[in-house]
Amino acid sequence: MTCASAFILRREDLVPLLEELAETLEVVAPVQVEGEAAFATWRGEALALDDKNPLTSPMEFFLPQKEVLFRYVQYSGRYTFSEDPPRARLIFGMRPCDLRALKVIDGIFGADLPDIPYAGRRRSTIIVALNCTTPGEGCFCRSMGSGPGAEGGYDILLTDLGRGYLVEPGSSAGVYILRAHHRHFEEADPGDIKEKERLLALAGDEIVTRGPSLNPEKIREAIDGVDWEEAGRRCLACGGCSLVCPVCHCFSVLDQGVPDGERLRCRDTCILSGFSRMTGGANPRAALGERLRHWYLDKFVYIPEKTGLFGCVGCGRCTRVCLGEVDRWSLFKEAAE
Amino acid sequence: MEKIATICVYCGCGCGLFLHVEDGRIVGASPSPAHPVSRGRLCVKGWLAADFVHHPDRLKTPLVRKGGRMVRGSWDEALSLTARRLKEIMEESGPDALAVLTSAKGTNEENYLLAKLARVALKTNNVDHVARLCHAPSVAGLGFALGSGAMTNPIRSLLSADAILVTGSNTTEQHPLIAAHILEAQSRGATLIVADPRRTQMAQLADIHLAPRLGTDVAWTNGILNLIIDMGLVDEDFIIERTEGFTALKDLVVQYTPAAVERITGIPPGDLKKAAVAFGEADRAAVVYAMGTTQHSCGTDNVLALANLVLATGNVGRDGTGIYPLRGHQNVQGACDMGALPSVYPGYQKVEDPAARERMEAAWGTDLPADPGLTAVEMMEAAEEGRLKGIYISGENPMISYPDRDQVMRALSSLEFLTVADIFPTETTALADVVLPVASFAEKDGTFTSTERRVQRVRRAVSPPGEARPEVEVAADLLRRLGVEADYASPEEVMAEISSVTPSYGGISYQRLGISGLSWPCPSRDHPGTEILHQGSFPIGRARFSAVEQQELAEDLDYPLLLTTGRSLFHFHTGTMTRRTHLLDRERPKAAVDINPADAAALGVRSGTMVVVESVRGGIEIEARLTEEVPMGTVYIPFHFAEAPANQLTARTLDPTSKIPCLKRTPVRIRRADS
Repeated sequence: MTCASAFILRREDLVPLLEELAETLEVVAPVQVEGEAAFATWRGEALALDDKNPLTSPMEFFLPQKEVLFRYVQYSGRYTFSEDPPRARLIFGMRPCDLRALKVIDGIFGADLPDIPYAGRRRSTIIVALNCTTPGEGCFCRSMGSGPGAEGGYDILLTDLGRGYLVEPGSSAGVYILRAHHRHFEEADPGDIKEKERLLALAGDEIVTRGPSLNPEKIREAIDGVDWEEAGRRCLACGGCSLVCPVCHCFSVLDQGVPDGERLRCRDTCILSGFSRMTGGANPRAALGERLRHWYLDKFVYIPEKTGLFGCVGCGRCTRVCLGEVDRWSLFKEAAE
Repeated sequence: MEKIATICVYCGCGCGLFLHVEDGRIVGASPSPAHPVSRGRLCVKGWLAADFVHHPDRLKTPLVRKGGRMVRGSWDEALSLTARRLKEIMEESGPDALAVLTSAKGTNEENYLLAKLARVALKTNNVDHVARLCHAPSVAGLGFALGSGAMTNPIRSLLSADAILVTGSNTTEQHPLIAAHILEAQSRGATLIVADPRRTQMAQLADIHLAPRLGTDVAWTNGILNLIIDMGLVDEDFIIERTEGFTALKDLVVQYTPAAVERITGIPPGDLKKAAVAFGEADRAAVVYAMGTTQHSCGTDNVLALANLVLATGNVGRDGTGIYPLRGHQNVQGACDMGALPSVYPGYQKVEDPAARERMEAAWGTDLPADPGLTAVEMMEAAEEGRLKGIYISGENPMISYPDRDQVMRALSSLEFLTVADIFPTETTALADVVLPVASFAEKDGTFTSTERRVQRVRRAVSPPGEARPEVEVAADLLRRLGVEADYASPEEVMAEISSVTPSYGGISYQRLGISGLSWPCPSRDHPGTEILHQGSFPIGRARFSAVEQQELAEDLDYPLLLTTGRSLFHFHTGTMTRRTHLLDRERPKAAVDINPADAAALGVRSGTMVVVESVRGGIEIEARLTEEVPMGTVYIPFHFAEAPANQLTARTLDPTSKIPCLKRTPVRIRRADS
């Protein structure tokens, strides 16, 4: 293998490559579950790479809905603790929007006081990203600057060129994998890079012409103009938007089991009133509308202040799961007009 | 990580979801995007559906009462004791001294085997379940009017309605995915009419909100029908061709003039007129109702009145029309279908019908009792009086969910023998002689039938904790111990037997149940299932109108307020699962009584004040919560909370036809706890 920076993986070599990788790593990839793509441990089934981005982001492998932080066992009044080491995992087919979410979370959980379980999973996970050449209906990553092409943050980046995948390493781990499995790769030519750029430009245009043309600055300004009371009236408090958002990362911690048990960390959501309610019962965000407003302020004001990146990656999942039939982005369009 | 496709365990919507499983543990849940009801969405309970599964409180070993204490026992000990005691009671006091309460949380296969246990092994028709407390009036009322007590149309049908009348249903909280369909229809232009004494979120979103006094549903329904007849908006062709009894009804409802209706219900004539115009003029109109309609001493009349309305306007048998009794448990429809009712075999074949009984005797290879058995609430009375001596309860918690808690306590305590199978210890397992630990929905295979008659596959995602077993195995084991052949290798084999004895399930098999399941009636292997009932004809030939009158409502000056009960969005039933789900319990950690601020001012009560709510049957201490959601004179308590059990207050007053207790209207009085 030469020191080229881009390669071609023939379509028929994809499965053999994953089989080799699966010998040493847990390979997570989009597979069909009940007619839709979902990220799950790959066991040789057909890959669902052409479907739209799965409803549940692969961010769940970094921020699980529920995780055991440690187990505690009491013996003669003394406690002993045990925890599981993170798994060695490879996530295959992560899209640029979710990759951006990972970067945002790195800026929060990886900052000054790193979150140890998160950092452990981050270190032990290889990311094979897939550029988005077939964006979904509600996607607006381009408006958020997070897609359809990935910019860094991956170990390996794939682009589907039709005849095969363009493969670009993005880290030393990526280079190592390409070397170790070099027989599946051949060198790409400059035309392949051009083709990638052409496909991404097409996808970007498709997103812009079809979706709402909103930029984060406009949304930030529009937040104050939205009728939040009305939005709250229609909200059914399912919490789906925040449970499905790849950037949402709030959690609560609870101990389950006495005297022996587990300390659990569970995904939490600011859509629930219990999230902001104080012990005495007072709640600074008592109404649903106020909580929805807070959710957007977090995405477009607070997270950018903290990380320099917007807390929305334009994946469109919040609109897909909204039980109250609130088209999230029309809120801002109306306010901006 | 695996993603296992299964069905939610909470309400009757029957949403498809994925359980995320890692190392034998459930680490999350998400909606199934291709599922016809969930369509990639869930309510908050659905998102957290599996959170309780690995809770440390789970029952993990059988428990047997010895010397007044519950001690760990083996399965063999627990089951042989159960079989022996049930047999002894049967020999000493006859089969009708025994009863089985099955569970709407169980699968069809479990309900079928438990109903079979009652009829074949114990030789009694004393088998019932929670449907008695929810939709018995629908089974009776719609069964009489249309020939089937189930929802006439699929949930999806609501999307094409032009007007939707929602009554006695707090839909956004109790059936959120159905509410989402209704709100989607509304945003496409359908008129939403909500009749509810409380200003629920649904009522606030409605185009027309009628707020009748509690217990006056027949009056306003007849009033709307009277206006519709008056305006010439009835579907005369439909009435002539497909119904009978309209004239008598017409003669009756003329009394329900807007002014008369206002006197009884408090609904302003203008609002009634608006509702009548919207419903009557709609090309396709639908009626959606739930417990607020059925849980009354006139529950069956309420259902019949609503049936009159859809029949008179010809809103049956077409997409976008229909009558939708929303079922509260994910498999209460299935438990009824499986014959876990005292009067019917699987598929609603009546036990009193000699032909049906002969068929079932041939299928089950034994003689069967001919008289209908006791209903759930009657069982409690019989137990208290000593006529009923042994009960097997599967996953029910009558101590919290049944009316008149003190009486339930006396009834269950006076039994000679009680076995309770459940996933968590409850107020009811505390009274048992044998407690059996069983698998939760995430730990077993089987099928659930949702409120829209959709039979769907439930899949085992993880192993049950400790020694817990799926109840389908427990029921088969008990059948064998009681001398009935029951060698089922899997729930699939039980379904094969179900489809052989249940005409409406005749074509249902696991192989055929894909993402969308199958809607019954599905009589044969090549039948595609039936989404819309009564398209060409009714099972009873012509549909029947009933001239139902508003009952006189008793008032009690000593108890000037009216209590109504219900459920919160964040909890389910007696809270055994949701109160062990951290985020849900945090959202609603304690009971509160909703009081209108005007009533509260008169009582000297503020939000947070502890008050005593008393009825003739007892009193509970509970925190007050001031809200305009309840009208003056009415108070509301969710019944989930064992520490302030609303059903301490409610009465056993039964609807004469369906034997449902009146849980929705109890005269009470309130005072400050410190007075």
